[in-house]
Amino acid sequence: MTGTGGMGGMTGTAGTAEGAVTAHSVASSALSGGPAEPPPHGLGVSLPAADADAKTQGTYPYAADLWAEGLLWAAVLRSPHPHARIVSIDTAEAARMPGVRAVVTHADVPGDGAHGRRVADRPVFASDIVRHHGEPIAAVAADHPDTARLAAAAIAVEYELLEPVTDPEQAFSAEPLHPDGNLIRHIPLRFGDPEATGEVVVEGLYRIGRQDPAPIGAEAGLAVPRPDGGVEIYTASTDPHADRDLAAACFGLEPERVKVVVTGVPGAMGDREDPGMQLPLGLLALRTGHPVKLAATREESFLGHPHRHPTLLRYRHHADADGKLVKVEAQILLDAGAYADSSSEALAAAVSFACGPYVVPHAFVEGWAVRTNNPPSGHVRGEGAMQVCAAYEGQMDKLAARLGLDPAELRLRNVMATGDLLPTGQTVTCPAPVAELLRSVRDFPLPALPVDDPEEQWLLPGGVDGAGEPGAVRRGVGYGLGMVHMLGAEGTDEVSTATVKVTGSIATVICAAVETGQGFATLARQIVQEILGLDEVHVAPVDTDQPPSGPGAHSRHTWVSGGAVERAARMVRTQLLQPLAHQFGMSTELLSIADGKITSYDGVLSTTVAEALDGKELWATAQCRPHPTEPLDDTGQGDAFVGIAFCAVRAVVDVDIELGSVRVVEMAVAQDVGRVLNPRQARARIEAGITQGVGAALTENLRTTGGLVRRPDLTGYALPTSLDTPDIRIVKLVEERDVVAPFGAKAISAVPVVTSPAAVAAAVRAATGRPVNRLPIRPQAAVGAGAV
Amino acid sequence: MTLPGSLDEAVAALTAMPAAVPVAGGTDLMAAVNSGLLRPAGLVGLGRINEIRGWQYQDGHALLGAGLTHARMGRPDFAALIPALATAARAAGPPQIRNAGTLGGNIASAAPTGDALPVLAALEATLVIAGPGGGRREIPIGHLLTGFDMLRPGELIGYVRVPLLHAPQTFLKATGRTGPGRAVASVAVVLDPARRNVRCAVGAVAPMPLRPLDAERWVASLIDWDGERTLAPEACAAFGDYVAAACIPDPAPGPDGADPGTLPPAALHLRRTVATLARRALGRALA
Repeated sequence: MTGTGGMGGMTGTAGTAEGAVTAHSVASSALSGGPAEPPPHGLGVSLPAADADAKTQGTYPYAADLWAEGLLWAAVLRSPHPHARIVSIDTAEAARMPGVRAVVTHADVPGDGAHGRRVADRPVFASDIVRHHGEPIAAVAADHPDTARLAAAAIAVEYELLEPVTDPEQAFSAEPLHPDGNLIRHIPLRFGDPEATGEVVVEGLYRIGRQDPAPIGAEAGLAVPRPDGGVEIYTASTDPHADRDLAAACFGLEPERVKVVVTGVPGAMGDREDPGMQLPLGLLALRTGHPVKLAATREESFLGHPHRHPTLLRYRHHADADGKLVKVEAQILLDAGAYADSSSEALAAAVSFACGPYVVPHAFVEGWAVRTNNPPSGHVRGEGAMQVCAAYEGQMDKLAARLGLDPAELRLRNVMATGDLLPTGQTVTCPAPVAELLRSVRDFPLPALPVDDPEEQWLLPGGVDGAGEPGAVRRGVGYGLGMVHMLGAEGTDEVSTATVKVTGSIATVICAAVETGQGFATLARQIVQEILGLDEVHVAPVDTDQPPSGPGAHSRHTWVSGGAVERAARMVRTQLLQPLAHQFGMSTELLSIADGKITSYDGVLSTTVAEALDGKELWATAQCRPHPTEPLDDTGQGDAFVGIAFCAVRAVVDVDIELGSVRVVEMAVAQDVGRVLNPRQARARIEAGITQGVGAALTENLRTTGGLVRRPDLTGYALPTSLDTPDIRIVKLVEERDVVAPFGAKAISAVPVVTSPAAVAAAVRAATGRPVNRLPIRPQAAVGAGAV
Repeated sequence: MTLPGSLDEAVAALTAMPAAVPVAGGTDLMAAVNSGLLRPAGLVGLGRINEIRGWQYQDGHALLGAGLTHARMGRPDFAALIPALATAARAAGPPQIRNAGTLGGNIASAAPTGDALPVLAALEATLVIAGPGGGRREIPIGHLLTGFDMLRPGELIGYVRVPLLHAPQTFLKATGRTGPGRAVASVAVVLDPARRNVRCAVGAVAPMPLRPLDAERWVASLIDWDGERTLAPEACAAFGDYVAAACIPDPAPGPDGADPGTLPPAALHLRRTVATLARRALGRALA
């Protein structure tokens, strides 16, 4: 199959629909809005990433590949206990070991003892109390990685074990785990009339597990001391300026003397790097005066970096006899782990989107984020929004079953549209084509059953030659509708700065937005190609000497950094064309640039960019700052979000109802994307998001016992393999431009992650008749009612 | 690191350096080395010992070299000889692991989830152990896996002797995902028409494969060995329940007859999984 339109069964119209394609397909005309061949560059084409070849051939350098003359190796000693008092730390034996150059503990931190990406509540090294399994206690630099590891193990720490708080419900009454208390945030959202009731009431209790971002490359870094007493840290940071500020505060240095240089990012779903690694690395480099390198093991990676918040949700939905929602009551409890990190934002998203993309006249939602001794939670793609989606969609299925309605029909009776209110009182001003999305996936033809297509080998749950038996397999179809906000919320100052330079016929983009795999570097090249008509555009490597662009989160770079690049490119364009326009007495709008040539509207004037430049370099720097937002008030009301993206997913699953094994056969997706800027990247982001969602639905859960992580490895933590990944059919990309967003484009990556677990759960519900109220879905919960 | 060319040279190398560790496919060993759990003083590589990389026939048995890879055992010619072992080999992880991991390594690692182990237990395989001075001794696989008879210093697993039964045999495995994964439970069922036996072993639910002997004898007595060799679905289901109850028993009553309570839900689900696998495995063997 190819991506050109006109395939049987396609429901989209030309210009908005991407063909139902699962394999790689070439950039094709169906997406750019007309029959004409798209230009070979610019927006709307599938420009490949500049580093794609190097990455696929394994020659691309990541942080773990870096090397410096005379480097030392670091190892971090991490707590084996989830909650303990540190009675003493004796580093003498470790320091005496041959080859050990430095040992550092909390006593060696010159600056602030506490740090945190949002709230400074986390020590660099635990000093008196250990609050989670894997918390850093000390670090060693030695001339061989094994020596460093052995020396770290030789540090004698005497612990007095404390009872860990592992049940977030117990956190309210437990002794404070931290001087800041156990309640990180409480949002009591009140919207409408508390006395309102519906004729039909359904209740549910839902539990969402702990998903790990499990990036393909574990954390790694190299710290190099500078002659001026500062330090440079080479690492795959996704928010280099924040990491620099945090490091500088801990090292007791001015921010200018710490430089974070971003290396290739081997996978990121949020805040990628673990400060518990970068900070010891920098301290050791400053202490020894040598470059120090650290490459975390997979186990350290699982213990150290932030996870998705495990969440407990109680819901009560009221509806009238026609299935129109009257009121939603909910209680949402996020397990933040030991430190606040981004739990406050996650809670705001969870509470604000607690009712989903539905019109709900009355909503009462209590949300809490609490501290426990479980592994740390933080920013992982779609945080907050994903957990509530699984719950409100479970409620919609329950309501449909109670009313005897088709689940898609019940949803269609309630979906929101532009102009409707969120329960936070904010009006949804951006495009909200939710009904269109749902209809698209509902009307897409279902995949053939094996009985209809006996030629096709049926991949049963359990795999080829597996235990699956066709007679015990039931097929289920389920729907999920999801929403997620774009950009930081609640008054976050969203801003990015970009510089565009033109020399000869080559343009360069300098912007500190990190290419994390989301495709920003490619998009930046496309934007400059589009505006300046130059083919050759380079994107400079990122470091903190450049102006800040903020974190790679909430799909914000397409908007803020893309917007900054666009403005800078337009400024360069004006500088380039102004003298010519002046010379010929016409406005710059009447001149166009293509293929390195400047041409006037009537074709009279024609010159090359190089001639127009006449050896000069043109530079322009611009910022993009979207309209401001405001924090939620003490009843959960406020215009907290810049924009919202929506998605509908239809999942088709096969369940072996005797073994409870599940295989997702197909995921049909329709997504509200505003505008497709790079079709291949858009498809890749959606496929990646759906796959991550399938993992969260079926297998991905970092399990703990009494606060101890049980299996911090990729055998115990089962990511989806190619056999677990379903056919992903992108049924429709609705291109209703968001007028306030640069290019009208919306975020793409997060909303499939948010929505697909709910759809898989709904499909397993349909196949088995079981309630399925816990993610990931355990086999015992998918053993069907009709099983022997 | 030494790379001996024969079994006896390998034994000599191990005897000369008792701290050395033999390495075949390295799929378990190198993971332990890479994670810093193991730092062997020396390695004796078994990859160049051609005599243990294939198999030969020996009076109604197959003598399988310990260096046979899972990929080789998964091929159709091998599957025609010992179908259950071929199925287990194909289920034992992704292609990279199957290309490297060996039969002998699966036995030596003795992981509870080792996929070849229940098949070898059901086949009542015998291990041919090579020892110093060209010595050979044979021990039943169960003796090694239970620790009843251990490998002595300098000894290596040379071959695995498996009876050729010329009858259907099955291996089924339940995992957490459709892609390759460790077994949650696995069941091997082999028919031995000559001895009118059904032999079954359950893997992954205990540290070593379990043999539900009573259930085997009971179901063998129901089969008409001279006729169609079929069983009613109810009999297969009863066999499954019998096997599962034997492998995951109810809690024993307390010493004073106190209420033993019931199994936790996870154990009940495991029991149901074993019952389903055993029922399906027997049903497919008799189909």
